[in-house]
Amino acid sequence: MSDNGKRGKVLVIGGGITGVSAAIEASEAGCEVILVEKEAYLGGRVVRMNQYFPKLCPPSCGLEINFRTIRTSPSITVLTQSEVEKISGGPGQYRATIRRQPRGVNNKCTACGACVEACPVERADKFNYEMGTTKAIYLPFQMAHPQQYVIDFDACEGPECGKCLPVCPYDAIDLEMQGQVVEEEVQSVIWATGWEPYDATQIENLGFGTHKNVVTNVMMERLASDGGPTKGKILRPSDNKEIESIAFVQCAGSRDENYLEHCSGVCCMGSLKQTRYVRDQYPDAEIFVFYIDIRSPGRLEDFYQAVQEDEKVTFVKGKVAKITEDAASGNLVVEAEDALSGQLATQAVEMVVLATGIVPTEAPVTLELDVELQRDSHGFLTNDQPVAGLLAAGCAKRPVEVAACVRDATGTALKALQTCVERHGG
Amino acid sequence: MPDPYVVRPDSEFLGRILAQGGEDAKKCFQCATCSVVCDLSDGGPAFPRKEMIWTQWGLKDRLMADPDVWLCHRCNDCSTHCPRGARPGDVMAAIRREHVFHYAFPGFLARWLNQPKLLPLMLLIPAVLLGLAFMARDSVQNALSMSTYSTSRIIYSYSVWFPQWLLIGFFLLFSGLALIAVFVGVGRFWGALKAADAANGGRVPTRGLFTSIGSTLKLILSHQQFSRCTAEHRQYLPHAYVFYGFVALFLVSLWTMTAKWNPLIPDTFVYPFSFFSPWRILANIGGLALLLGCLMLIWARLPGAGDEGKRSVSSSTYFDWAFIVTLLLVTLTGFASEVLHYARLEPHRHLVYFIHLLFILTLLMYLPYSKFAHMVYRTTAMVYADYTGRKTAVPVVAAAASGDVVAEEAVAGEVASEGESAEEANAEDPAHEEPENVQGEDK
Repeated sequence: MSDNGKRGKVLVIGGGITGVSAAIEASEAGCEVILVEKEAYLGGRVVRMNQYFPKLCPPSCGLEINFRTIRTSPSITVLTQSEVEKISGGPGQYRATIRRQPRGVNNKCTACGACVEACPVERADKFNYEMGTTKAIYLPFQMAHPQQYVIDFDACEGPECGKCLPVCPYDAIDLEMQGQVVEEEVQSVIWATGWEPYDATQIENLGFGTHKNVVTNVMMERLASDGGPTKGKILRPSDNKEIESIAFVQCAGSRDENYLEHCSGVCCMGSLKQTRYVRDQYPDAEIFVFYIDIRSPGRLEDFYQAVQEDEKVTFVKGKVAKITEDAASGNLVVEAEDALSGQLATQAVEMVVLATGIVPTEAPVTLELDVELQRDSHGFLTNDQPVAGLLAAGCAKRPVEVAACVRDATGTALKALQTCVERHGG
Repeated sequence: MPDPYVVRPDSEFLGRILAQGGEDAKKCFQCATCSVVCDLSDGGPAFPRKEMIWTQWGLKDRLMADPDVWLCHRCNDCSTHCPRGARPGDVMAAIRREHVFHYAFPGFLARWLNQPKLLPLMLLIPAVLLGLAFMARDSVQNALSMSTYSTSRIIYSYSVWFPQWLLIGFFLLFSGLALIAVFVGVGRFWGALKAADAANGGRVPTRGLFTSIGSTLKLILSHQQFSRCTAEHRQYLPHAYVFYGFVALFLVSLWTMTAKWNPLIPDTFVYPFSFFSPWRILANIGGLALLLGCLMLIWARLPGAGDEGKRSVSSSTYFDWAFIVTLLLVTLTGFASEVLHYARLEPHRHLVYFIHLLFILTLLMYLPYSKFAHMVYRTTAMVYADYTGRKTAVPVVAAAASGDVVAEEAVAGEVASEGESAEEANAEDPAHEEPENVQGEDK
């Protein structure tokens, strides 16, 4: 148990918008918080967006202030590049085993970037969904928190190479840094493990992975983002050409028992938002949105209507079930039935964006408890877990937009507090 | 503006579809994947998406006047790719079955024939008829002072027992009756197709009727529609075997019935044939093809026969089984008669031959009421579709403008619940201004 006069300790798994929000809420209520993040930076999927609802802010907008709070809070411990391996104990008295991967760069790093020029090795840029590369030593992205470089030890050639060491003026690089295992006693655990985009290569008839100019919605966010592989200019991948036409394919793999059975609920607004990205850069581009039904609940309907007023955005009620590529030009032909007219439509476009859905992150944690975590048939954690103090929040629980994640994080933090109070006596 | 279309859901009809193979129809959420993955639905009006919503709404009148259900050859590309497991391929098959019932003349025969509990009665009728024919054999022969078959040349033949005049006369009579029923049914079907298109300003003839008949026959003979399927390509061979086996046996039968009276044909080519006569060889090859095809079709319908279990096996109903099993029995008893005949096995061969004739009679006289009728309805629908023309796929803006009016109405419900997108579509739709377009009243 905590021995520093705090109200107990909460373990938050996942440093995305949900985990960050839950950590801050719990700490502000007087708890100690261990925030565990698998990547080398906080912010999860949200920092990889170009803009997000409801106000179409860039992600730095909401996250900056959160990061500052975390930096200055004495009661939040952030463990990046870390994964919870095991949880043992019982209700209200959990013991978590956390494995930390070595960063290769210590706190002396000022993110000056001198090492990058010296590094001879390139790696696929996972942050940008492998569109483009970085060096083996890299800053995940411009606004990354912690603002420190990180070494991809899968790519790094190690001390034998060592070219980065002499160029670092702060002695911040340690190519032999070891990982470590940390044990923490906590009263409750919040799974804010978030989501992954559905693997579009699984969808056999939409050509993702074989047709270069078929991208997914998360890739489109990176293409439109200043920090992305094209510096924010939307160019199609095969030849970096500016686009004159583009098709958005809704429910790509979603609501489909052959692929991803559930509706993710957010992809419709995501694509509508992305039509704006295209329009902002290309006033004359032809935009096609193929849909089964557009889900724009509440006030989002206004946004939908605004997109409909764009004369060069054509909505087609019919799911795209076939995409073929013209190998020479890289252009694509999408096929759907226009269900309003009953006529089959084939539309030639220069680029296609698949609106793929949200899959809950697996995040395997060995539970040495009498119970298992409960998941629904789609793999999302259920709201009511069988033991007190084991909680899920945000997209780990169901596919929702950022605002809902933040609200859910607040509610879940309160539930975590209840366990802390019960077990710790406040 | 035409009169508003009043939706009259026929829940009894819907119930029959759900009960007879189309039990997953209500899972459809109109994404239209099926229409795109279907290799036979090219252009418009697309299928089977519209048939799915018509079924869900119980729009029997729409479906009964829809030739597109017969353009489907049930390759199950749609069912394989359906995101909801609504199995459009099975629903289309259930609708086709309803077509046979709906247009059958007289209708009660179709209803009787497709009740398993009436099976004994339905077999008893042809058995009694055939029995009566036998009983009448001698008295008619005597009355007309006909000689029995000359035994100077024939040593051993079924025709002594069941003389050819009787065989021909008897089967011509019942084939003729079936043919009349078929003509009535097809006539009703054709009329309904034309009436529906006339009422809603739909398709009109685009080419000559005989040209369409010609190209349809070519299509059927080539079996191209089957070879275009990708999900259940395996239907192609079995159906071709059955089809060509049947055609071969049909030709032999025609020859047998007519050659006798054709003075130009030498005796060696007149029934009864020797074992090595070209006609007998053709008949045997045809029979083998038929047997093989039947067995393959039955095999494909057995549970668990699909490559991935539920994803490719068509659901099978009594309607399907009755036809394929009758066909198999005709073939098996035919070969049995032949074998017993050469084995000189008396009196078994006559019993088996009687059963063989019984199943042939069953097949022929129930043609208009059984799945056998697919032959005529499918051909009719294919001719109609060719005659009135099908559109090719076009870019989306043109698609919105040029669509089939029937299909537009069918999604009226969707339109109402998706007000904005409908307006969007209408705004894009030049045809919207044309007087015959009915989209306006959706709102």
